[in-house]
Amino acid sequence: MDEDRVKKQEGLIRSVLYKNLMEDYTPFPLDKKLAVKWAAGLNVPRGGRVIIYTSYMYQMASVFKSYEKYVPTLGSLGKSRILASIGSRFIKPSDEDVERSVKILQNIYRMVSRVKADVGYLYEEEPYSGSLLYELGFLDEFKEYGRKVLQFFREKGVEEIITVDPHTTNTLANLKRYINFDIPFKNYITMIGTVKGGGKFVMHDSCLYSRFLDMYDTVRDKAKSAGIELVEDPTVTGKGVGFCCGGPVGPLNDELSNNIARARATALKSVYENVLVACPLCYVNLEPYCNVKDLAEVIE
Amino acid sequence: MNWVELISMVSAGNYNEVESILREYPYIVEIADHLREEKMKVIENLSTYVDITMRNVEKLGGHAYLAKNKDDARKIAGEIVGENKTVVFSKTNAAYEVGLREYLESRHNEVWETDLGEYLVQISKGWPTHIVAPALDMTREDAAKAVRKIDPSINENSRVEDIVAAVRKFLMTKYVKADVGITGANAVAADSGAIALVENEGNIRIDTVMPQVHISITGIDKIVPTLRDAMDEVMVQAAYAGIYPPTYINVTAGPSSTADIELKRVSPATGPKDFHLILLDDGRMDASQNPDLKEALLCIKCGRCYFSCPIYRILGKDWVSTKSPYNGPTGVMWNYITNKDPWPASYCVHSGGCKEVCPMKINIPEVIKYIKYMGSKNL
Ligand code: SF4
Repeated sequence: MDEDRVKKQEGLIRSVLYKNLMEDYTPFPLDKKLAVKWAAGLNVPRGGRVIIYTSYMYQMASVFKSYEKYVPTLGSLGKSRILASIGSRFIKPSDEDVERSVKILQNIYRMVSRVKADVGYLYEEEPYSGSLLYELGFLDEFKEYGRKVLQFFREKGVEEIITVDPHTTNTLANLKRYINFDIPFKNYITMIGTVKGGGKFVMHDSCLYSRFLDMYDTVRDKAKSAGIELVEDPTVTGKGVGFCCGGPVGPLNDELSNNIARARATALKSVYENVLVACPLCYVNLEPYCNVKDLAEVIE
Repeated sequence: MNWVELISMVSAGNYNEVESILREYPYIVEIADHLREEKMKVIENLSTYVDITMRNVEKLGGHAYLAKNKDDARKIAGEIVGENKTVVFSKTNAAYEVGLREYLESRHNEVWETDLGEYLVQISKGWPTHIVAPALDMTREDAAKAVRKIDPSINENSRVEDIVAAVRKFLMTKYVKADVGITGANAVAADSGAIALVENEGNIRIDTVMPQVHISITGIDKIVPTLRDAMDEVMVQAAYAGIYPPTYINVTAGPSSTADIELKRVSPATGPKDFHLILLDDGRMDASQNPDLKEALLCIKCGRCYFSCPIYRILGKDWVSTKSPYNGPTGVMWNYITNKDPWPASYCVHSGGCKEVCPMKINIPEVIKYIKYMGSKNL
């Protein structure tokens, strides 16, 4: 591995990420109008005791993936205020990505609303969870930022959180462990009731759902009970050999991330041509190499 | 076939093999669980176990040494071997860790790896790709090209059998004149001072009995409380490496001896007249006292976690590179323990497969997270 490159990139990411999060609750300057579009269309209540927490993951997955490309620019630009003013112009998901995330989040919200009334959303005030800090090993900064996020949720009167993706869910689980984050949270897949769906897929497990949050069977059971047919090959889809989509190393090394995604897609395609994921990062990583759908696109 | 295709095939093969072994020999899982507990006892009290082990080796008529670091280990082994000797090596990670082969060669010794994979790595001036299968990335053609250097009758059309036979023939000429055999140890029994080794090729047997001096160099993490635990460790290691039953299990307890005359145990007999055990610390003692790191010392080096690791499956030996003989997920931990190098941890994608497949149930992602953190503190 190229150690110098890793050190340089990590140093840069840490300073850019930390500064942005502490000042603005987002990992990079982003167009919040796009991020909240899904909720505006549904008239989701603003704030509330129970909130749906997107942490910008579905809305900004493609940007998270390309983080490596932006970091050197962000780092050299210096002052975060400059970033905030010009950032939203150059870090933007495509229209197609935005439309897709709108549909997914609206669908998740509808499924959640069927079992839970009055679920609110913090709109552009929503803070990013801090996943990147945790996943890159910046644990001191992660804990510090986590305390800030917890305080923010408390001030907003949040008493229960519904997460929609594995990274945010896992991050809250770790905040609970590290800083006693005491607001209860649930992942949407664990709480939605009877849903309908269709299609035949090979499941690409999110590493976090499958091996860290003990949801390997939960995700499968939900898909199967909705009527989805899952094709399995224990050497490709078994819990211990599930393999990653390459997403988490993207901020440090885009090429390595893509090579993992390509290898994973090849293995999945050897089992079945259509791939099912349950994570926005898995989607953006695998999408160039195979036919892929998110669980929230095939159940309702 | 490129590396990614090759490792995909090998990984699937290992998965199927291990699953079928565990189905056929269900006691392996029980043994592994028990072994974890026994190894943890040693980790919690490592210096005491080192003392007990060394005492018991001496009691058997062997010699025991504690090498604090790489330099120490090289010096101790170098003094035992001397100069202008022929040395046969079995695959040993600890020797790799300290650069022993190169050191002995620099002291005018002729040194030969006798494990086939490691021999191929040696003659092609490479670096091991995997702890159990060092030449995993070499195709038949690559192996033929390397072996051609010692046997011109081998060419790219040679069969695997021919290549193996050529190496065997070559090594036989070295075994007979070898002065010293150097091996590792899969496990060291504190209660008896015996070492246990597992293999399939037969080279370890020869290395441990043909030369008149046997040196075993191994990490202090390989100490287990009893000889029974040591036997457990070799069985678990073999099963999770995907080869069970292993062809050979060797136990060496001191130099060769006999009690044939008046039941009086005397030494030497036919085998080595000297047995030396070099126990290597090289960061392990510190790790045993670090709550975030000590689980890594449970590793029995079965190499299974490599196969479920996305980064290893793309980068292969280029990940941890030539800094350490340990690669893959366990290599990230061990490279940190032995080289204080946190950087390979940065590439970990926390896929968590390593934790699922590890027979010792090491929470590898959690240990790696700590190492990542330590690296980031030094940015
Ligand atoms: S960490 Fe576990 S799976 Fe990996 S080599 Fe060690 S014992 Fe085997």
